[in-house]
Amino acid sequence: MKTLILGVGNPILGDDGIGFHVAQELAKRINGENIDVRDANTSGLGLLENIAGYDKVIIIDAIETESRDIGGIYKLGLEDLVNTVDQASWPHGINFATAIEFGRKFAANQMPKEMVIFAIGVGQVTKFTGEMTAKLTETVPKVVNLVLKEVSST
Amino acid sequence: MSRMRKITIDPITRLEGHGKIEIFLNDAGDVDRAYLQIPELRGFEKFCEGRPAEEMPRITTMICGVCPTAHHMASTKTLDDLWKVEPTSTAKKIRRLMYNAFMAEDHILHFFFLGGPDLIVGPTAPAAERNILGVIGKVGLEVGGKVIEARKRLRNVLRIIGGKPVMPSCGLPGGVSKTISEEERKTLIEAGEYAVEFCQFALKAFDDIVLRNKDYIDLITGDIYKHRTYYMGLVDENNKVNFYDGMIRVVDPDGKEFATFRPQEYLDHIREHVEPWSYMKFCYLKNVGWKGFTDGEGSGIYRVAPLARLNVADGMATPLAQEAYEKLFETLGGKPAHNTLAFHWARLVEALYASERVLELARDPELTSPDIVNLPTETPKEGIGVVEAPRGTLFHHYQTDETGILTGVNLIVATTNNMAPIVMSVEKAAKSLIHKGEVSDGLLNMIEMAFRAYDPCMACGTHALPGQMPLEIIICDPQSNEIKRLSRF
Repeated sequence: MKTLILGVGNPILGDDGIGFHVAQELAKRINGENIDVRDANTSGLGLLENIAGYDKVIIIDAIETESRDIGGIYKLGLEDLVNTVDQASWPHGINFATAIEFGRKFAANQMPKEMVIFAIGVGQVTKFTGEMTAKLTETVPKVVNLVLKEVSST
Repeated sequence: MSRMRKITIDPITRLEGHGKIEIFLNDAGDVDRAYLQIPELRGFEKFCEGRPAEEMPRITTMICGVCPTAHHMASTKTLDDLWKVEPTSTAKKIRRLMYNAFMAEDHILHFFFLGGPDLIVGPTAPAAERNILGVIGKVGLEVGGKVIEARKRLRNVLRIIGGKPVMPSCGLPGGVSKTISEEERKTLIEAGEYAVEFCQFALKAFDDIVLRNKDYIDLITGDIYKHRTYYMGLVDENNKVNFYDGMIRVVDPDGKEFATFRPQEYLDHIREHVEPWSYMKFCYLKNVGWKGFTDGEGSGIYRVAPLARLNVADGMATPLAQEAYEKLFETLGGKPAHNTLAFHWARLVEALYASERVLELARDPELTSPDIVNLPTETPKEGIGVVEAPRGTLFHHYQTDETGILTGVNLIVATTNNMAPIVMSVEKAAKSLIHKGEVSDGLLNMIEMAFRAYDPCMACGTHALPGQMPLEIIICDPQSNEIKRLSRF
């Protein structure tokens, strides 16, 4: 069984970098033949290419919530995103749920059987900076521990 | 686990980062003005200042997860200009090959995933079908596999040349960092062959599904999606479309050449206008002037990206693309074509051109020469580099101290050039669909179609879930009271 831990985000776009920073920490702690740790500054189809061929994928990504709870941690499954499957939405890029649907249709045998998403509530994601909001930086070790726990339960 | 919370994610999840269009009606209930607001990414220029200029080709790839190769190439060319070093002949060929592979891949993807829902599935189809899955349903199941394969092969070209498939790291002032082996060249040729064949297939599908359907032709050529503007794009020495290098050519709304200038002269020709209601900047031709959001010869508003590039050029430099180019203008009634929805068609013509270029360059045995870089010897001061990104002309401009540390950075990203036309297109669609206070049901669709044709890049550097930027339309009476709100979330 092959597992991928994927931190998604842009490390120079403030809080959007949370997935990247968590993946950096995890890469120091995880070392196994059947487990890879990676970061990806991409979305939609780019993510699909990253996860193809793995049995289990754990994704760490930023989420913008209505309440703006910076540092809030949400454990999600694909079923939580199903309502966002693209309905001719905004131009230029398809969202994650739509990419997964596409993958299931055309590369079903390469799609992971299990996917867990740790979504972290973020604040500032429109100003270029390598720094995250302080509250979010404090969240990094907590997320790292949750991912490690998830891995050990595999 | 006290911090773990439950959340319901659906299109109703309301975000701050959504696009907003406010439409104000006059006393008669017709559209007075439409205002478009899009969240913007800020502070990139400041983020760069104080860093070594040679880091820019790698830093700028992080601006946007969609077109990193465009920024990488514009940045690399800016470094050539900064150190006044000419790349070797082989390096130029390697760069061109990589860049054309990127353009082909990006255009193919846009057409099937983002343009296809409008033109292939159709504007009146139920929302749930207007996506890539609907496109596949219409063109045939095998197209899904072909799109994946074409993308995979073209991205492999980027990996072979760029080092990584997504964020290239090969560009150096005066050349590239890595040679190409004969074995790799074979793979590049195969990728080119596959891409040429695929683009021909895509144009055929466009022909069968779109061009043979009178309703679609009426929609493409209709007045709702038409603006008589100036156009801008890079051309080679024969005035043919070029994505990587050349002179910047501008034609007027009648197609007559208005200006041709070197990238280094861009500030003599382009100005940015600011409106009190938006953080966005609106580019216009300095030598015509800003006359508001209006088209025609007297207004300095110009358009960039696929149709604009075809409009400014005298043709395509490759044979199959030239045929497709001629057919496009023949069908649309001559040059320049002002039909916004024809950007989708032009995108396919360009994808074919880019694929033919990939193949032509891959077949050149010089590609494997070890002569890939000329070392810089000059002292840096100022550099300007321009490429045609998928979404239009992309300008990078750096100033440094004598050690190459950045003191000033200015970028005009492709979509900024098209921002004023996008606002006009939104307003025009609104005007045609709102009469005497009656709002047509298709309004949201029709406005989204105007957007998608430009393939605009807006705050796309963020990847936060759920991963889309919804659009909201608010219609107000002359006293600014909300009458109606339309959105998909």
